[in-house]
Amino acid sequence: MQKGEMYVGWSTKEDVRKRGGSGGLVTSMLAAALEKKMVDAVVVLKKINEFEAVPVITSDVNEVLNSAGSLHSVPSNFAKLIANKNLKVALPAKGCDVRGIIEQSKRNAINLDNTFVVGLNCGGSMHPVVTREMLEVMYKIKPEDVHGEEIEKGKLIFETKDGKEHAITIDELEEKGYGRRESCRYCTIKIPNNADIACGNWGVTGDLVGKATFVEINSEKGARLLQNAIDAGYVQVQKPDEKGVAIRAKIKGTMEGLGKKWKDKVFVPMDNGRLEYFRKELEHCIDCGACKAVCPTCSCGDISKCTEFHYRGDAYKMSMYHLVRFLHLADSCIGCGQCSDVCPVDIPLTRLYRRFANTVQEQLKYEPGMDQRKPPYFEAKLEV
Amino acid sequence: MANVYSTICPGCNFGCGLYVRENGKLEVDFRKSSPANAGKLCRFGMNLPRLYAPVKSMVDGKETTLQEAAKEAAKRLSGSKGSVAFLSFGNITCEEHLAFQKLAESSLYSGVDFEALPKDTYQTLSVGIPYDEIEAAKHIVLFIDPYEQYPLIVRRLLSAKKKGAKITSVWWKDMPLADENIRPADVSKLQLTKDSLVITDFHPLSDVEQIKNVLLLAKNAGARITFLKPFANSTGVYILSKDAKQKSLATLVEDINKGAIKTLFCLESDPVDLIPAETLGKLTNLIVQTGSASAITAKAHVVIAHEPLYKKRGTLINSEGRAQALGGAGTSGLEALGVIAGTKFEFDSLHESVRKALGIAAVDEFTIPKYDRPPYGAIQAAPKPIDTKTALVSIYNPFLWFGLADDNDFVELNLNTARALKLIKGATLKIKSNGSAIEKRFKVAPVQENVLLAGRKFGIEKGMLTPVEISR
Repeated sequence: MQKGEMYVGWSTKEDVRKRGGSGGLVTSMLAAALEKKMVDAVVVLKKINEFEAVPVITSDVNEVLNSAGSLHSVPSNFAKLIANKNLKVALPAKGCDVRGIIEQSKRNAINLDNTFVVGLNCGGSMHPVVTREMLEVMYKIKPEDVHGEEIEKGKLIFETKDGKEHAITIDELEEKGYGRRESCRYCTIKIPNNADIACGNWGVTGDLVGKATFVEINSEKGARLLQNAIDAGYVQVQKPDEKGVAIRAKIKGTMEGLGKKWKDKVFVPMDNGRLEYFRKELEHCIDCGACKAVCPTCSCGDISKCTEFHYRGDAYKMSMYHLVRFLHLADSCIGCGQCSDVCPVDIPLTRLYRRFANTVQEQLKYEPGMDQRKPPYFEAKLEV
Repeated sequence: MANVYSTICPGCNFGCGLYVRENGKLEVDFRKSSPANAGKLCRFGMNLPRLYAPVKSMVDGKETTLQEAAKEAAKRLSGSKGSVAFLSFGNITCEEHLAFQKLAESSLYSGVDFEALPKDTYQTLSVGIPYDEIEAAKHIVLFIDPYEQYPLIVRRLLSAKKKGAKITSVWWKDMPLADENIRPADVSKLQLTKDSLVITDFHPLSDVEQIKNVLLLAKNAGARITFLKPFANSTGVYILSKDAKQKSLATLVEDINKGAIKTLFCLESDPVDLIPAETLGKLTNLIVQTGSASAITAKAHVVIAHEPLYKKRGTLINSEGRAQALGGAGTSGLEALGVIAGTKFEFDSLHESVRKALGIAAVDEFTIPKYDRPPYGAIQAAPKPIDTKTALVSIYNPFLWFGLADDNDFVELNLNTARALKLIKGATLKIKSNGSAIEKRFKVAPVQENVLLAGRKFGIEKGMLTPVEISR
């Protein structure tokens, strides 16, 4: 096995195949890595219900096999969870998780040699509280009755405990203010080729639809991870058909195109009043620091420029905390949306950071979290 | 590898869900499915690991076990029968409170002054209005500083505003989210209608005449009123003690000063910043049962160290009446109370009593139980105006209630005051009160001219409003 190869695979364990998403390949691959001691720990989501799962770091193979699989309404990000832990670890990761992990590695908080990143194709995730409201308002079903969910052909489908499926197009949901988080709408990393291996259901065809995972190997580590799972008897694979490969590429292209359209829609250029716009958006800030704590690219710790230059007793119209973070994130923001998710006063922080980052990153031709290139501001050298 | 607990932030009674992860050190993580806060946390919630400072059971400064400390507490309590006070502000589970209430009998001090308020207002004071009803209100009137005191209400207010609500703030400082700002002394200018929803708070330092006045204003206009509260389970404690005699903090201070109380038992409550040191010094026995170290544990003769809140099993009820289950399994708090009471408190039967009191079959955080909201009768109120030239106003926030340091060692004052005193940026302000003098940094803010606002205590305060003199 080597970089660039593609497969379709599934778990050999019947219960994992049934419970996990798309044949349970990812779960089995992670469990095999742990059992065969490729890693000391695995990060999984421990499912509480359809709308809640706790990220846990575990060394228990059974806990991995019993984990949640993917949940669109659990928008977590694992980069900060494994940072500075010095773990030999394997973990599932959406495109934004992968970008966070790579950025942490550039800041010496994660050692990529010891980190096996299983990328998950992602069309977007949803906030659980918004999802519950959406179920009641748009789908007219009780959240407690939901048994499973899936995104297929532009529709968000919920299966209820009575076995019925309820589908509404994502376009319609998003028009009404529901559906994916804003940052997911304009994200253009749909297949995480920045991970060691990219997995998802796009490109699975015929009888295997819903029962298998399409895999693309992106690195030598990714090849080892999959080969280990096969050798351990956890996973079976076969070559994908050409039709599947073409379908996957087409979905990727379409999704990326939609992401770009959303980006144009959200980030309408502003000619005047930019300072006032930022000041107004930030005026309710309560200095909680959650946006920094959750930021998967920030590795500064408690003592950092944004906090040290800031004093709550200052009466500036815009705090130094935010000004420093705007500067820092201009070349480092990956647009994951976590800061907006956790802001207690609902400041659309990701949108604000992206206002700077879009311009800077386009001009510098730099996409953070996609490869090992250092952030351009790191490269700046002061000449006396 | 790491233990993760689904829990509720004890910073106030808003009911914010979060995860606490034991990962070498304590970490907080965002529980985005939590209905009260959607996983969002305020400044205090983000600093929660600081609150959970480890504590050990002690008797007269010597380390011991929970059992031995509880037995010693039982001995000292029975030795001072008739002169014991049991204080709990409400930082405990409903199940623990039921046990504590049995132990305390007629000597229960919840700190708030229910006795000075008409009985028919108790339900209104105890259970607030659901947050989604606040978001749907047409006119919201604030008698709090939402940003400093109950920060998670801010997003609900902004959501209401987006839907067309008008927001009026009655406070010493202009609020960025308010459409109209009225100073507390000008409250007569406030125009309430039946579409108004009044948000205020109720706690051990509340001025009952102000509380009565706000209740009266709401009643006269037919407006709805909701009380926010500062302790993790204030609402649960008030509901479960609605028929019990609860005594105020002021009564406790008075009782200790006149020698009627010699032994004080504090359950998960630190009154060090609320009771004068000379008063606390008059106690023969100070017994503290808690899950975290604080100023009171350093002063206590007996410390009974039970598990911290995030490890507990039990039920909390938030300001809107939502019952929430803590995700831990610990019941050592109940165990210790049982040892002291000479009985065994069974969690399951206490939990059943809680469910019965709420009229629910199971605790479901997504469904708020139905509460009676009886109207209250006529109220006589005589609120006192601010009668000093300059006053220092203490804004009680979660850090202040828990005695935790915050990055707020400054006062806020008006630009005209700063100009009149010729204060320059970076300089300090001299503040004098009753012979004590301090120098503090200042922040210019849209504050009432004769007022200094502070979110921490400087040691010169005499209650929430302290007359002061200021100079450069």
